[in-house]
Amino acid sequence: MLKFLKQVGDYAKETVQAAKYIGQGLAVTFDHMQRRPVTVQYPYEKLIPSERFRGRIHFEFDKCISCEVCVRVCPIYLPVVDWDFNPATKKKQLRHYSIDFGVCIFCGNCVEYCPTNCLSMTEEYELATYDRHELNYDNVALGRLPYKVTDDPMVTALREFVYLPEGVMSPHDLPKNAQRAGQRPEEILAQDMAQDLAKKETGNKE
Amino acid sequence: MDQGIDLQQTFIQSLMDLGLSAGVAKTVWMPLPMLLMIIGATVGVLVSVWLERKISAAVQQRVGPEFIGPLGVLAPVADGLKLIFKEDTVPAKADPLLFTLGPVIVVIPVFLSYLIVPFGQNLIVTNVGMGVFVWIALSSVVPIGLLMSGYASNNKYSLLGGLRAAAQSISYEIPLALAVLAIVLMSNSLSTIDIVNQQSGYGILGWNIWRQPIGFVIFWIAALAECERIPFDLPEAEEELVAGYQTEYSGMKFALFYLGSYVNLVLSALMVAILYLGGWELPIPTSLIANWLGVSETNAWLEIVDASLGITMTLLKAYFLVFTAILLRWTVPRVRIDQLLDLGWKFLLPISLVNLLITAALKIAFPGAFGG
Repeated sequence: MLKFLKQVGDYAKETVQAAKYIGQGLAVTFDHMQRRPVTVQYPYEKLIPSERFRGRIHFEFDKCISCEVCVRVCPIYLPVVDWDFNPATKKKQLRHYSIDFGVCIFCGNCVEYCPTNCLSMTEEYELATYDRHELNYDNVALGRLPYKVTDDPMVTALREFVYLPEGVMSPHDLPKNAQRAGQRPEEILAQDMAQDLAKKETGNKE
Repeated sequence: MDQGIDLQQTFIQSLMDLGLSAGVAKTVWMPLPMLLMIIGATVGVLVSVWLERKISAAVQQRVGPEFIGPLGVLAPVADGLKLIFKEDTVPAKADPLLFTLGPVIVVIPVFLSYLIVPFGQNLIVTNVGMGVFVWIALSSVVPIGLLMSGYASNNKYSLLGGLRAAAQSISYEIPLALAVLAIVLMSNSLSTIDIVNQQSGYGILGWNIWRQPIGFVIFWIAALAECERIPFDLPEAEEELVAGYQTEYSGMKFALFYLGSYVNLVLSALMVAILYLGGWELPIPTSLIANWLGVSETNAWLEIVDASLGITMTLLKAYFLVFTAILLRWTVPRVRIDQLLDLGWKFLLPISLVNLLITAALKIAFPGAFGG
C-alpha cells in the first residue's frame, strides 16, 4: 500500500515538474512577443555593407601587369589571365582577364596579394542571374563600379547593427548625424597624436 | 433568471402579426441563425488564421503578413481565393468517391457542432437538450472522414496519417467526454445554456474553472489533440508523414481540411469558454452592474448592451484560448505516437476518472457549491 502511494506521489511530482517546464517554455515564447523584429524590408530597404565587406571583385585593366599572383594565391586558381608577350616593349601585354563568381568564394586572397592593387573588393552582393555562365565576369564586367545603396533613390539605406549609436537596436528612423557607438578611427588617431605631442614636450623639458 | 432578448420569439411574433401561420413563420426564421452561424464560423476561421500567422511571427520576432491589406488581414482571404482557383486533382489510382467524401465528412460535423454554441441566453441556433453530447458525438465522426481520405489517397503516408488520426481521436475522446461528464454532473444538464447559467451569478468566481481546474486542463489538452494542434499534430506531421492524409489533396478539397481544422480549433476554444469560463457571463455579474448604474435588470438598453457584451465576452474568452494554443505551438515540440497514446491512456484517462469520482463525491458532500 505504502509503495503504491509512493508511486502515486512520484507520478504527481513528475507531472507538476512537466507542467512547470511547459510553463517556463510558454514564458519564454511569450517574452519573445514583446521583442521587436529587426526586419529589413529587403527590396525597399537595404543594409549599408561594412567597409570590410567582401563583395564582387573590381578589376582595373590598365594597372594589371599580368604577373598571375592572383592565380597562384587563389584556392582554386580561378582568375583567368590571358596575356601575350610583346617583343617590342619586352613586356607581357594583358588581353583578357576574367573571374567566375559562380565558383569564387570571395576569400579576398587575390585582392590581398595583387602587387599593383588592380584588384579590389566592392560592396556589390546582388549577383543573381538566370544562367550560371553569366556569372563569369570578363574584364569589362569586372571594371564596372557597383551602384551605392546610399545613392539609390528607390532604397532606404539602413545602417548595420555595429554602426548604430549605443543602446539603439533598430536602424529605422535614426537622426541623420547620429554617431555610432565608440570612437571613430580618426578620433583615435587624433587622440594618439595629441598624446605623442604631449610626451615629446615633456621629454624636451627634461 | 430573466430571459433577456429573444430574437426568435419577436421575429416569429411579428411575422404572425403580418398574417403568416406559426409554422410558416418558424420556417422563415430557421435558416437565418444557421446562415449567420456558418458565416460567423468562417469569419472566425479567417481571424484565427490571421492571428496564427501574426502571433507566430511575433513569437519568432518576425513581422508576418504586412502588405496584404492593413496589417495583412487579407492574407487568409488571399489563401482561400488561391485554393478556390487551384486545380482539383484526384490521383489516378485513388478511390474517387471516398477521396471526395473524406474532406466533406471531416467538415460537416464540425460546422454542425456550432448548433449548440450559445453566445447569449437566447443567442443559440437550437437549445438541444443533449447539448454537449451532440458535440462529442459529432466530433467522433471526424476521424472516419480522416481515415477515409487517408485510405482513398492510395498513398502510404496518407494511410499512416489517417490511421494515426483515428487512433488519436479515439483515445482522446474518452478523457474529453469524462471531463465534460464532470461538468454535466455539476450542472445536472447536458444543455450548454444550462451549463452557463449554472456558472452565472457570482461573476468570475462562479466559473467552472475554479471547481474543475483539473478538468479544465484535461479538456484543453484533449481538445488540442482532437484539433490536431502542434504538440499532437502527428497525423499531419509535415516532416515525417508529408502532411499525412492531406498529402494527395489540393484545391478546394485541401481547403476543406484546412477550414475544418481551424473551425474545429475555434469550436474547441468556444466549448472551453462555455464549459469552464462562464460562456457569455461577464467577470462581474450583470445584476451588480445594474445595481451600480441604478437601473432595472430588465431595462431595454441594458439588455442590448448585455447581449452584445455577452457575444464579445464569449469570443474574447475563445480567442484567448486560441492564443494559448498558438503560443503552445511554438513552445512544445511534437510528441511521438507512443508518447501520445501513453499520455492519452495512461495519464489523462485515469486522471479524468479520478476527477469525475472526486466531483461526484464533492457533489454529495457539498451540494450547495457543486450543484446538488
